[in-house]
Amino acid sequence: MHRRRILAWLLAALLLAPVSPAFAQSNEVLVFAAASLKTALDDIAKQWRAETGKTAKVSYAGSSALARQIEQGAPADLFISADSDWMNDLAGKNLIKPATRADLLGNRIVLVAAKDDKTALKIAPGFDLAGALGNNRLAMANVDAVPAGKYGKAALESLGVWPSVSAKVAQADDVRAALLLVSRGEAPFGIVYATDAAADPGVRVVDAFPADSHPPIIYPGAVLASSKTPDAEAFLAHLRSAQAKPLFERQGFSVLD
Amino acid sequence: MTQWLTPEEWQVVGLSLRVALWATLASLPVGLAVAWLLARKRFWGHALLNGVVHLPLIMPPVVTGYLLLILFGRRGFFGELLAEIGIVFAFRWTGAALACAVMGFPLMVRAMRLSIEAVDRRLEAAAGTLGANPVMVFLTVTLPLILPGVLAGAILGFAKAMGEFGATITFVSNIPGETRTLPTAIYTYLNVPGGDAGAIRLTLISVALSLAALLVSEGLARRAARHVGGV
Repeated sequence: MHRRRILAWLLAALLLAPVSPAFAQSNEVLVFAAASLKTALDDIAKQWRAETGKTAKVSYAGSSALARQIEQGAPADLFISADSDWMNDLAGKNLIKPATRADLLGNRIVLVAAKDDKTALKIAPGFDLAGALGNNRLAMANVDAVPAGKYGKAALESLGVWPSVSAKVAQADDVRAALLLVSRGEAPFGIVYATDAAADPGVRVVDAFPADSHPPIIYPGAVLASSKTPDAEAFLAHLRSAQAKPLFERQGFSVLD
Repeated sequence: MTQWLTPEEWQVVGLSLRVALWATLASLPVGLAVAWLLARKRFWGHALLNGVVHLPLIMPPVVTGYLLLILFGRRGFFGELLAEIGIVFAFRWTGAALACAVMGFPLMVRAMRLSIEAVDRRLEAAAGTLGANPVMVFLTVTLPLILPGVLAGAILGFAKAMGEFGATITFVSNIPGETRTLPTAIYTYLNVPGGDAGAIRLTLISVALSLAALLVSEGLARRAARHVGGV
C-alpha cells in the first residue's frame, strides 16, 4: 500500500512537470513562405545562420493556405507570398506592418514534362495542349487560390486554351506538389515556376509562357503585425541584401529592387 | 432545399455517396470471404493474413495512399497491367473508391469475423444431420445468424468510406467532380481565407450523413437480431 502511494505521487509529478514554463522565449524568426521558395530560402536561412548565428525557421505551403493560417492567428513573424493578392488580403485585415512590405522577387511560369519525355510543344495562342494530354492530366496548383495555379489559369485563358483543358487539370495543394506529380510520371505535363523546374532534375521544360499572358509574378514580403521578434526585420533586410541576391538568382528568381 | 448548397457542393455530396457505395459493394464479398477464412480455418500464415488485413487501420493514411500510388498509379505495377484492360484508378473516382475500400476493409472484416465466430456450430451440425448440404447449411442457417454482423460491417465500411481523406488525397489528389469527396472539399475550403461558410455547410452535411448511416445500421441490426431470435 505504501509503495503504491509513492508510485502514484511519482506518476503525478512526471505528468505535471512539463506544465512549468520551462520553454524559454526563443528568438527564432518564424517565416511563412510560398512553397516555390523552398530551395532558395533554405540556403539563405543557412547563410544567415552562419553569418549572424540567428535561426530562421521556414514553413512552406501554398500562399493561400499560409494566409489563412495567419488569419487564424498563427504565430509567424514574416510572410512571403507568391502573389500580391494574398498580401493585400492580409494588409486589408491589418495583419502586417505596412512599412515593412516590399516586393522581393520575380519569376516565370513554364510548361514541364518528365525528363525523358520527348514531346516538343510550342506555347502560342490556341496551341493543342488538350491533344498532347490525351486522356491524362495537367498538374497545376489549385487554380482558384494558389498563386502558381492562378497564374497558370490566367495564362491558359489569355492563350484561349483553358476551356479545352480545364476538365483535365489535376490540382495540387501547392506548386511543389504539382511538380512532384510530373516528376513521378503521374501527370505527363504540368505548369510550375521556372525556378521549380530548375530545382528538380526529374523534369524538363517544354516551353515558357510569355510574360504578358498573365499578371506579373511578384513575391512580396512583410513582417506580420503580431510579430514580437526584432530579428524579423533583420531577416527581411538580409533577404534584400547583396549576399542573398546570388542565392535567389542561382535558382532562377529575378531580384527586384 | 437545393439552395442550401451550391451546385458544386451537391456534386461533392453525390460523388462521396457514389464512391462510398461502390467501395462498400466491392469489398463486401472479399471482406466476407476473408472474415470466414480467419474465423473458421487454421492455416500457416493465419496470423500474417490477420496482420495484413489490419494494416490500413494502424498505418498513417498517407502511407496507405502512397503505397496505393506506387502499386496502382499510372506507373504502378498493377496500375499498368489494369490499364491495359481498361481499369484506371489514377486521378479517377475509381481510385477514390479503391482508397476508401482499403481503409474500411479492416473494420468490415472485424465486424463480420466476430459474428461468424459467435455462431453456434452445433446448429450447423444439426442442420447437416437433418440432410442439408454445406451450401444449404450456409444459406439457411449460417447466413441469417451472421447477417447483423455483416450489415454492421458493411455500414461501418460505408461510413469510413464517406470520411476517408488521407489515403484518397495522396493517391488520387483533389479533382473537382472526380475525386473531390466531402472531406477533401472541406479541406479545400479550409485552405482558402474566407472559406469558413462553405466548410461549415459541408461539415453539417457530413455529420448528418454519418448520423443517418449509424441510425440505419442500428435499426437494421436490431431488426435482423429480432428476426433471427424467432420473435
